Amino acid sequence: MKNWQPQGDEGVNTRFRVNSPRVMHERIEGEIIVIDLATGSYYSLRESAAAIWTELERGAGEDEIVAALERTYEATPEELGSSVRALVEELSAEGLIEPAGENGASAADPAPPAESGRRRAFGAPVLEKHTDMQDLILLDPVHEVDARGWPHPAPAGADGA
Amino acid sequence: MPASSSLASGLAASFAAACDASGALLAEPYRIAGEPVSLRFATAALRDRLTAAFSHLRADPAGEEPALTINLWDSASTGCAPPPHPAVPEGGAQGALYHFSEPPLRGVYQPGFESLSVLDGEARTAWHWVGSAFELAYWDQACPIRQLLFWWLGSRGLLQVHGASVGTASGGVLVVGKGGSGKSTVALSSLGSGLLYAGDDYVAVGLEPAPRIESLYSSGKLEPDHVQTLLPHLLPLLDNADRLASEKAVLYVQEHFPEQTTAGFPLRAVLVPRVAASRPESRIVEASRAAAFAALAPSTILQLHTADAGAFQTMSRLIERVPCYGLELGSEVGAIPDTIAEFLAGLPPA
Repeated sequence: MKNWQPQGDEGVNTRFRVNSPRVMHERIEGEIIVIDLATGSYYSLRESAAAIWTELERGAGEDEIVAALERTYEATPEELGSSVRALVEELSAEGLIEPAGENGASAADPAPPAESGRRRAFGAPVLEKHTDMQDLILLDPVHEVDARGWPHPAPAGADGA
Repeated sequence: MPASSSLASGLAASFAAACDASGALLAEPYRIAGEPVSLRFATAALRDRLTAAFSHLRADPAGEEPALTINLWDSASTGCAPPPHPAVPEGGAQGALYHFSEPPLRGVYQPGFESLSVLDGEARTAWHWVGSAFELAYWDQACPIRQLLFWWLGSRGLLQVHGASVGTASGGVLVVGKGGSGKSTVALSSLGSGLLYAGDDYVAVGLEPAPRIESLYSSGKLEPDHVQTLLPHLLPLLDNADRLASEKAVLYVQEHFPEQTTAGFPLRAVLVPRVAASRPESRIVEASRAAAFAALAPSTILQLHTADAGAFQTMSRLIERVPCYGLELGSEVGAIPDTIAEFLAGLPPA
């Protein structure tokens, strides 16, 4: 994907941000629930997918995400990197994240301390997508009205005014 | 004059003209979420169609200062021109909704439904205009002025959610899920049982000082074939039995089961229903908080259209504060209220 390529000497460190306010997300008992107001789709990310989302939200680049996953999961850096890239591409394609840009690209805060105990088996991240409520958006699309629309009354003689 | 002031004065003038034309100003006192609310209608035609859902919240006219005054009128029954509204492009979806938020004003305009709602939070005044009182959609009569109440409740620390709620005076459940998940079946199955009915589609939730349900509407809506097959004893009580080919079945609980309506009760649990018709009995099972949040939050956000991230976070706090369970719905619908009543009775004291 265009936005997830090595950048000169900096390595693979493109940073992303959640596409707010279009996208809302909450963590509930380790699971991330994401809703896209533009499409009416909502998503669930568990386990490794939730971990990657959390790192992306912190502003981590791929190297940092892989390093964080290595502390939790038993997998090679290559396997983790491949999984991270695949999920990032999917999240980008869905419009849930976007490149943070130069101004917004700040190094992530230090990752939380490594979990104690043994590392867990790694399962490829899954973005679970639900589209059963899209009709609510398609039937009743919401348009935010700017300063030229409301609250200024329609011009005299406008249809229905 | 700021544009927002111009809009407010235009709405006030339009409502005043409608009252002049009808020769009436019909003010009715209600108590919604514990607060006095005055609904002021320009005509009986609109009043009669919009107040059935609030009849369980009717208050005595004790001269209390309203926390909110809502002015409601239409053009068809008053003969008055529509109030000022935004110019919108033609050809959009029928339900297209134009929203603005410019404190203290907030408004929505749905040209396809000829519906305009504006709240002035500072003046504690709202306006609701529709094109015709005689052509209201059944859902607008069963759950009127949803957007206005959503914004006003939010300003008072309450959140309107997409869910059904039944219970007892000491506590009840919030049943959450998308349309068709069984919320209304659960709520309407309680009619004739010992449970109180707080709503089948939209209720308000407060979290402080303790989680609480506030009833908004005493209406119930269900697919007609579900009434016929699951709750046939309700058929004679339907408000729109002659229109079931094109509308959901609607009944007003206050009209037929006034002893079962309630202004609200403590919230003790969130239930996520799931049809399990292979068994006759219903039962309460474990459910993750994430599953409950996924059943509650997306449908609330998408149904209410103008909800923001704050509402999403409030629902997250709700799910953290209140225990969550699954409700497997067996084929004996009439036994569902007993399952819920036994579950509530078995909860430890709040």
